[in-house]
Amino acid sequence: MPTPILQVKDLHTEFLTDGGVVKAVDGVSFDLYPGESIGIVGESGSGKSITALSILRLVPDPGRVVSGQVLFHDQDLLQLGGEEIREIRGRDIAMIFQDPQSSLNPVLRTGFQIDEAMLAHNKANRKQARQRTVELLRRVRIPAPETRVKDFPHQLSGGMRQRAMIAMGLANAPSILIADEPTTALDVTVQAQILELLADLNRDLGTAIVMITHNMGVVAGLCSRVLVMYAGEIVEQGPVEQIFEHPQHPYTWSLLRSIPRVDALRHERLRSIEGLAPDLLHPPAGCRFHPRCPFRVEKCFTDEPRLQEVAPDQLAACWVTMERARKEMGADDLIDIRPGAGSGLRKGELTE
Amino acid sequence: MATSVSFPVPGPGPAPVVGTAGLSAPVQASLWSDAWRRLRRNRMALISAVYLVILVAVALVALVHTPYSYREVGVARPYSGPSWANWLGADILGRDVLSRLMVGAQISLIVGVGTQVFVVAVGVPIGLLAGYYKGTVDSVVSFIINVFYGIPDLLVAMILLLLLGPSLNNIIIAIVATRWMDMTRLVRGQTLALREREFIEAARSSGAKPAKILFGHILPNSLGPIIVQATFGVPAAILFEAFLSFLGIGVQPPTPSWGSMAADGLAAIRIAPHMVIAPSIALSLTLMAFNFLGDGLRDALDPRQKR
Repeated sequence: MPTPILQVKDLHTEFLTDGGVVKAVDGVSFDLYPGESIGIVGESGSGKSITALSILRLVPDPGRVVSGQVLFHDQDLLQLGGEEIREIRGRDIAMIFQDPQSSLNPVLRTGFQIDEAMLAHNKANRKQARQRTVELLRRVRIPAPETRVKDFPHQLSGGMRQRAMIAMGLANAPSILIADEPTTALDVTVQAQILELLADLNRDLGTAIVMITHNMGVVAGLCSRVLVMYAGEIVEQGPVEQIFEHPQHPYTWSLLRSIPRVDALRHERLRSIEGLAPDLLHPPAGCRFHPRCPFRVEKCFTDEPRLQEVAPDQLAACWVTMERARKEMGADDLIDIRPGAGSGLRKGELTE
Repeated sequence: MATSVSFPVPGPGPAPVVGTAGLSAPVQASLWSDAWRRLRRNRMALISAVYLVILVAVALVALVHTPYSYREVGVARPYSGPSWANWLGADILGRDVLSRLMVGAQISLIVGVGTQVFVVAVGVPIGLLAGYYKGTVDSVVSFIINVFYGIPDLLVAMILLLLLGPSLNNIIIAIVATRWMDMTRLVRGQTLALREREFIEAARSSGAKPAKILFGHILPNSLGPIIVQATFGVPAAILFEAFLSFLGIGVQPPTPSWGSMAADGLAAIRIAPHMVIAPSIALSLTLMAFNFLGDGLRDALDPRQKR
């Protein structure tokens, strides 16, 4: 077993708001191995982006990483000084963002901005940097890179801008690339091209990729392992095929069920997950998913489940797990997946 | 225009089609050439710019040649009106008004532009730091700005000129002391807004140094408003200098200033109105020109205008 390149251990990130403390990331741990590509999946507000930003210590105010470790080559990134973490950013761990429209500086030429990414780490002089920029743009398949380097961002299409962002991310040949919903703002055909590009880079350059997304399809296409986040916690993790075929957490199961299917009957209703994502100012007691869970049992209302092995390499934080839900609650035949539908345990019915 | 070139695609699978249609670069090269194009279509701004170019030329010519020496008395009969020999007449000591007006243009331009150079030099860095680091730095800067806004301009300028003495340099210092706050506040506001933009986060995530983020990313994005603000600041400074000189605490005789020339003329306004009218018209035209130019620049540099 190779050693992990990045180890996140019991990460806690909080936002101090007027209403109280929001635990945006609450005890997240995971390992990333060299050349691996993992997906972090979850709804908006599940803490997946904040997890990524915490790794590079870029959490916006009033957020603070309050505890945990982020070990990169046995070095805790959370303990580094300002100048040391700046050196890591972009050089060892690079990040690309959701909206390529707004993540390029509108008044600077695209090529210049990629040059700058190299110059920030004294990796090259201006001339060498420009040469490499052209190579990078060619690598991310931007046509006529020699002329495109002189374009301003508004002269590029959305897909090309995201390619340029990826080129910028790769400028210093980082060992880890964190992609925060890089395809969300793009249309579907362009999405596919960008994902294919990332998969190629992952395979050819050996860059480890952390893909943050709310789209299960993106994970399926790119990642070998997936972490499912809900309300600031990891609720399930494991190899992608295994999770897709045998999800053990009811949340993962619901997420997969809610992907619209082409072969669905015409007037079949889209399957959504009932209820709203929890208010992190006042997270529910017990399992955080229990207010929306079709298979909750009494224990879920009071005791918080820990991540535990439910199959080889697969961890889930659930008292019931889908295996039991299938056997005992007929999960597969369930049409109505409202909270408590499987177990029959409605909110008011819980005996204290 | 991007030509269609096929690139080797690593790995199996069909080459993704990289779109080449509809991606041709627009003819416009940059924000600046765009702004210049819009500015050229603004007739008043263009006329103003032409006037100001002429004014600068006159001021430069005055360095080497004026019809008469601006300080030589008795070149004409005192109070005499415009004539072929003295186009704008003569003043109380028989000095040539046109020559004095030309030298006065130098003073006005030096004060107007010089003041704004220092206002930018002071206001931009302080505004950037206050807006970027927020917290204590911002609180201190904002407090000082508010204190300066609280004291009347004229009082600050008069006290400074009394302490330092009324030289041209000190006049500039005094005006900067009363005018640096607008620029600082503008840049601070711009920085506060820009620092939250995603490209700043992206720059930070690529390891850019704070100085690079401030001067390489935030400053270029606020250049438009800074230029407009500085352009409007020039006539304000010129007017303030004229006002100080009118009161006698500005440029000292025999150096002419449009303000002191008007003050001299005021005493004789009934018998020699040209002494007031000539510097007043020069002053008004110059102020108007800078303001029209500022207006034009504001419209031209406004990113929301995409005409």
